Amino acid sequence: MKKGIVLFVVLCLLVPTLLFSAGKKESDQITIAFCFQDLETEFWVAGHKAITESLRENGIRVIEKNANEDANRQLEQVKDVITQGVDGIIIIPQDGESAVTIAKTANAAGVPIGIFNRPPSDKSAKNLVVVANNEVIAEAAVEHMAQEAMKLGRKVYPAIMVGDLGDPNAVGRRQGFMNVMAKYPELWAAPPVEIPTKWDANVALANLQSAMQANPKIDFLFTSSDFLFPVIKSVLAPLNKWVKINNPNHVILGGLDGDVTAAQLLEEGYLDATGVQNLFYEADVMLEAMLAAIKAGDKTPDKWMDDPGFALTQANLATRAEEMWGWVLYKEKK
Amino acid sequence: MKQTLRPANLAKRILMSEYFVLYLTIVYLIVLTPIIPRLWHPMNIQNVLSNMWPLLVVAIGQTFVLILAGIDLSQTSVMAMSSVVGAVVMTSSADPVLFTKSPLWGTLLTDQGGLMASSPFALPVGIAVMLAVGLAIGFLNGFSVAIFRMPPFIVTLVSMMLFSAMAIFLTKSENIRHLPDSYLQISKTTFSVVSGSLVIAIVLAVIAHMVLTRTLFGKRLYAVGINTTASQISGVPTRKTIIAAYMVSGLCAAIAAILYSSRLEMGRPTLGSTLFIDIVGANIIGGISLAGGKGKVTWTIFGVFFFIILANSLNMLNLSFYIIDMVKGSVILVAALLDVARNRIRKAQM
Repeated sequence: MKKGIVLFVVLCLLVPTLLFSAGKKESDQITIAFCFQDLETEFWVAGHKAITESLRENGIRVIEKNANEDANRQLEQVKDVITQGVDGIIIIPQDGESAVTIAKTANAAGVPIGIFNRPPSDKSAKNLVVVANNEVIAEAAVEHMAQEAMKLGRKVYPAIMVGDLGDPNAVGRRQGFMNVMAKYPELWAAPPVEIPTKWDANVALANLQSAMQANPKIDFLFTSSDFLFPVIKSVLAPLNKWVKINNPNHVILGGLDGDVTAAQLLEEGYLDATGVQNLFYEADVMLEAMLAAIKAGDKTPDKWMDDPGFALTQANLATRAEEMWGWVLYKEKK
Repeated sequence: MKQTLRPANLAKRILMSEYFVLYLTIVYLIVLTPIIPRLWHPMNIQNVLSNMWPLLVVAIGQTFVLILAGIDLSQTSVMAMSSVVGAVVMTSSADPVLFTKSPLWGTLLTDQGGLMASSPFALPVGIAVMLAVGLAIGFLNGFSVAIFRMPPFIVTLVSMMLFSAMAIFLTKSENIRHLPDSYLQISKTTFSVVSGSLVIAIVLAVIAHMVLTRTLFGKRLYAVGINTTASQISGVPTRKTIIAAYMVSGLCAAIAAILYSSRLEMGRPTLGSTLFIDIVGANIIGGISLAGGKGKVTWTIFGVFFFIILANSLNMLNLSFYIIDMVKGSVILVAALLDVARNRIRKAQM
C-alpha cells in the first residue's frame, strides 16, 4: 500500500513537470512587476498610484505585490515574479539593506530592477535608483524655518522627529536638518532634541509626548515625514501649541514629502515649510530608464537618478504650490 | 472483514488517513497545473523549496510544544534575537552613523565589526551563540510553564514582547550586514535545489521524527500532552519534559533564524515578526492538534509543504495581498474544522 502511495506521488509530480516545465511567456506585451513594502502613508499611496498609472498608460502589464513590511516576504515575492518571466521589476524596499539583497537576486536572474525612492544602503548591486536628494530638500525646508525663527529676535529650542536610520532617506533628512543647526549656532537655545519615530505613528506619538514633557520649551519642530503631522497635532493641541503662524504660541513647523496633509496645513497657516519630493517626476524617470533598459536588452542597468525637489514655504506658496504632488491631490479632493 | 469501498467509506478513509494533507496537496497541484503553467518551472520549484526549509525548521519546533498542548508565541522573537546576536558576533564592520546609539557600540560592536570579526572562528562561534540564545529563551519559557504553572500563552506572549523589544533596543532598529561569506552560503542553492538549508532541514526533521517515535522523551511528550496529571502520577517527569519541549522549540527557532538571516544576508531585529501565523497555520493544516497529544513530524512536513504551495500559487495567480491573506486564513480555519471532524469520527469509531 505504502509503495503504491509513493509511486502515485512520484507520478503526480513528474507528469506535470514533463508537460509544463517549458512554460513560455504568454504574450509579447512587456510585463513589469511592482513590489512595494506597504501602502501605509499618503506618500506611498500616491507613489503607488503614480507608478502603476504611468506603467499602464504605456501599455505595460503590471503585476503588483505588497510585502506588508516584511523583507523576507518581499524577497520571496521578487523570486516569484522572476519565475513568472517579468521583463523588469520596480521595488519600494522595506529598507536600504534588503534593497541590496533583492537587487542582487534580480541581477543573478538577469532581470532589470529599479529601486524607487528608498535607495540601497550600498552600491554592490546593479540597479536603477530614483531618489529625492533628501539632504538638500530637508535643508531647504529647515532653512526657511530658521529664517522665520530669526524674525522672533530670540533663541529657539529645536527638535527633529527622526525616521528609521536604517533608511538612507531618514539619514539624509536628518543630515539636512543638522546642516542648518551648524549654520546658525547662535540661533539655538539648546542642542536639538532627536525624537525617534522608526517611521511608525505609534512610536512617534509616544516619543513626541515624552520629548514635549521633558523639553516643554520646544518651539522649532521638523518632522522627517509629513505623515506624522496628525501625530504632532494630537500632542501639541492639548499643550495649546497647535496654533497658526502669527500666534505667539506657534511652534515653527516643517516637514518633508509634500503630501495632502501638508498642503492643507500650509493653506490653513499651521505649517511653515515642507520639503517636496516630485513623485510624478520620479515615476516618469524610473519608467523611462526601465523601458530603455528592457529595449536595449540590458539585464543589469545601473543608474542613479536624483529628484532635486524643492521646499514649499509660506513665502513661495502662491507661485510653486502647483508643483507639489500633495497640493494637486488636495485640490482634487476639495 | 474487508470494508467495501463505497464513496462514503472512501471519503471517510481519505479524511482519516495520515496522508490526507498530502493527497490534498497533490489534487491542488493537479488542478493548478493547467492554470499556472510556470508552477512546474525549475526556478519555481527552487523557490518553493527555498521558502519551505526555514519554515519547516521553525514549525517542527512548534510541533513539539503543540503535542504538549502548549503553544510557543515567542518563536518569532527568538528568531529576531538570535539573528541580531549572531550578527553582532560575526559582522566584519558596522556603520557608526547607524550604530553609535546602540548600547553595544564600543564594546561588542565597533566600526571594525563584532566580537569575532574577521576571525576564522566567527562562523562556528556565531552559530553557537545563536543556538544558545534559542535554548536559553526556550528554557525560560519552559521553566515558567513547568515550575510556576503559568499558562503557556501568557508566558510566551510576554517572551515575544520582551525579546522582540530587546532585539530592537540592542540594534536601535538597525539591520546588521557584512556577515561572513561562509554564513551566507548556507542558504545558497547549488545543483538547482540542493542547499545548506535543505540539508539542515532534512537532518533536523529526521532527528525530530526519531525523537518523537523512538525515544522515551517522545513517549513522555505525548503522555503529558494527553493528560499531564495522569502522566505525573504514572511517574513521568512532567516538568523536565515541558522544559525540554520549549527548549527544542527555541532551538528550532534559532536554527530557522540562521536560515532566514543567511538568506537575507543580515541580522534583522524584526526577523520573523510576521511569521507566527504561518508557523502555527502549517502545523494545524498538517493535522497537529491544538488540544495536544497528537502530531507527527511527517504531518508537519505535509502541512508546511501545502502552506508553501498555497502561498506560492496565490502569488503566481497574482492575487492581491489582501486576498492572499484571506485565503490563507480561511484554509487554516478549514483545517482546524477538519481536525474537529476527524476527532469526532475517531471517537465514534471507538
